[in-house]
Amino acid sequence: MLDLFQNLAHGFAVALSPINLLLCLVGALVGTLVGVLPGIGTIATVAMLLPITFGLPPVGALIMLAGIYYGAQYGGSTTSILVNIPGEATSVVTTLDGFQMAKQGRAGPALSIAAIGSFVAGCAATVLIAVLGAPLTRLALLFGPAEYFSLMVLGLIFAVVLAKGSVLKAVAMIALGLLLSMVGADLETGASRMSFNIPELADGLGFATVAMGVFGFAEIIRNLDSGAESDRELVQQKITGLMPTRKDLAESAPAIFRGTILGSILGILPGGGAVIASFAAYTFEKKIARDPSRFGRGAIAGVAAPESANNAAAQTSFIPLLTLGIPPNAVMALMVGAMTIHGIQPGPQVMQKQPDLVWGMIASMWIGNLMLIIINLPLVGIWVRLLRVPYRLMFPSIVVFCAIGIYSINNAPVDVILAGAFGLFGYWLIKHDFEPAPLLLGMVLGTLMEENLRRTLQISRGDWSVFITRPLSAALLAIAAALLVLAVLPALRRKRDEVFVEG
Amino acid sequence: MADTTGQLSDNAANTPAARNAIGALIILLLAFAPQLVELAMALAGQIAALAVRSPLQVMSAHGAALVESLPALVRQWAEGGKITLRSDALLVLIYTYPLMAIALFTWLVRPRAPQDYFGGVVLMAIALFALWAASDLSGMRGFTFGPGTAPRMLGVLLLGMGAAVAVIGLVTEGPSLQIYHWRGPLFVSLAILSFAVAIRPLGLIVAALASFLIAALGTSETRWGETLIVGVVLTLGCALLFPYVLGLPMPLFPRLLVQ
Repeated sequence: MLDLFQNLAHGFAVALSPINLLLCLVGALVGTLVGVLPGIGTIATVAMLLPITFGLPPVGALIMLAGIYYGAQYGGSTTSILVNIPGEATSVVTTLDGFQMAKQGRAGPALSIAAIGSFVAGCAATVLIAVLGAPLTRLALLFGPAEYFSLMVLGLIFAVVLAKGSVLKAVAMIALGLLLSMVGADLETGASRMSFNIPELADGLGFATVAMGVFGFAEIIRNLDSGAESDRELVQQKITGLMPTRKDLAESAPAIFRGTILGSILGILPGGGAVIASFAAYTFEKKIARDPSRFGRGAIAGVAAPESANNAAAQTSFIPLLTLGIPPNAVMALMVGAMTIHGIQPGPQVMQKQPDLVWGMIASMWIGNLMLIIINLPLVGIWVRLLRVPYRLMFPSIVVFCAIGIYSINNAPVDVILAGAFGLFGYWLIKHDFEPAPLLLGMVLGTLMEENLRRTLQISRGDWSVFITRPLSAALLAIAAALLVLAVLPALRRKRDEVFVEG
Repeated sequence: MADTTGQLSDNAANTPAARNAIGALIILLLAFAPQLVELAMALAGQIAALAVRSPLQVMSAHGAALVESLPALVRQWAEGGKITLRSDALLVLIYTYPLMAIALFTWLVRPRAPQDYFGGVVLMAIALFALWAASDLSGMRGFTFGPGTAPRMLGVLLLGMGAAVAVIGLVTEGPSLQIYHWRGPLFVSLAILSFAVAIRPLGLIVAALASFLIAALGTSETRWGETLIVGVVLTLGCALLFPYVLGLPMPLFPRLLVQ
């Protein structure tokens, strides 16, 4: 125990050197500025800015990258809240209540709570990594493919439960999302699946392409409908206060606390941990809320919980990276890339061989979070003022930014066209009252689910019963089933009531 | 696929009296959407001199498939042995015929929640199309999954879900179709499309400005003076930001001028 705090102190000594502090600040600032451009999310930001860290010493480079990562993540949340474009999968849930808050003129409090929640979660997660890093890694090792599959089933059920409308439609959207994730090369055989000989589809549909389409472009198109004008005027007219009120803080403090705990636990599990964490935190808040109907209509807890959960998870997801060498998400994969460029092989030996690096990075994450809040709380006013730009000028700019952003990911014009097609599809989804969030989650988890399902069945030689005979997996599936029943029951009851009323 | 219907249902929403006939027609159009899309791409291929099937080939192949596929299936089935059909024939069997049946059904019934009914039908169409697209992939080998297993399972799941949504929309009272508008979707898609087409040959400056101005056509609120100024400023900003500040490899000027 003492050892760990000594390590942490050593880490802070490394990270607090003036040059590393400066690198962290620059990283967080640049990350925020790029991440806040609509259409450019965390992954794109980190990928773009990766080369500027190549010339630095390894510790400095990773500290700067951590800064860029947190900055970009916050920038992504900013666009989720202001223009309903999630920068990456983890901030999809933030759009649900964040954008509603912005519509009600409360974008300032939403942005502030997002930053505060992230900071609190970051502090807690940093301590947690130091204290629990090693034992928690043992827990992650208990997870075999069957458990991962069951965990992801649970994640998808979370998405169903938190959907606003009918359960059936949400399940249909998940199925569609999973189906979309199948496009591209097969994992085991490399066979090209449903890609119609289009080379750009051989790698599969990009998350950014689909997210930009069904959230970004679709939202723009819907806003242009006549009748939606009054809705928009509302956004621009009343902006009430930049800082959260005492009531806001009181409402979001427990949500931040619970989101942090959920996020820290789920983040350790490789494979979409942060995504599931944000969905789970939101669902949990909605379930235990005294008035669940407020969620989806601008409840501040609906911003606070997922934002703290995804930040806590993002932080604890460094544990599998540093201890097992498994990148749990795309950004971490980029980090692995950066480490290899500096000649560091991520894995169990890093902890022993390069304590400077590991503990320096853990400390820098906390500092990165601090920089984030120092830079961003004053900037909230500027971001909110962006909303005052008339929509007739705002929307063509967003279209152009999104188009450039998508093009820049792969330098592929086809990706831009695909995003446009998904925009029209998203418009159609809105018109038929389907929710895009479950679709996106299905798409993100689809590949991993298929991989783990296939692996499980290969190990068990085609025996499906392993999912219920392995205790951890059975427990996860039982929770999923219980949640689904809870979600369906009120719907059934309502239907029955309607029948009785009619009768 | 679904995009086409999205725009077309416009008419359906405006004429409630004749909704069923029009709804059925739209589903019928959806049934032939893949063939029509391929034809359109073949025509575009003629112009751009791409290596795709010529329009005549496309028409004759799909036309033949439409007539022949069912007899061919019955014949091969009667003969026993493995069923081998061409991709065009499979498309007709898996996708077009079932949707034609749904179109006929739609013409006969009056769904009580059109929003859900048509939503479910389109999901079924997507599922059928995916089942066709995955039909060339091998399935289970012993107890291991083949590349086609998961897509087929999900295709069937989505088909079931779509059918359930449609049936519920048929029998329970619910919202009617929302009104579709053409102006926003048309110009925003055109803006995106023009950017995608222009970025490689014409460079960022032309592509971004053109796309900005086309998108601005999407609303009647646009005032051209300020739009032009903002468009130019934004384009210059992007031209500095993306290639220089962020160091992304992107052509700035038309290829002809550079040479």
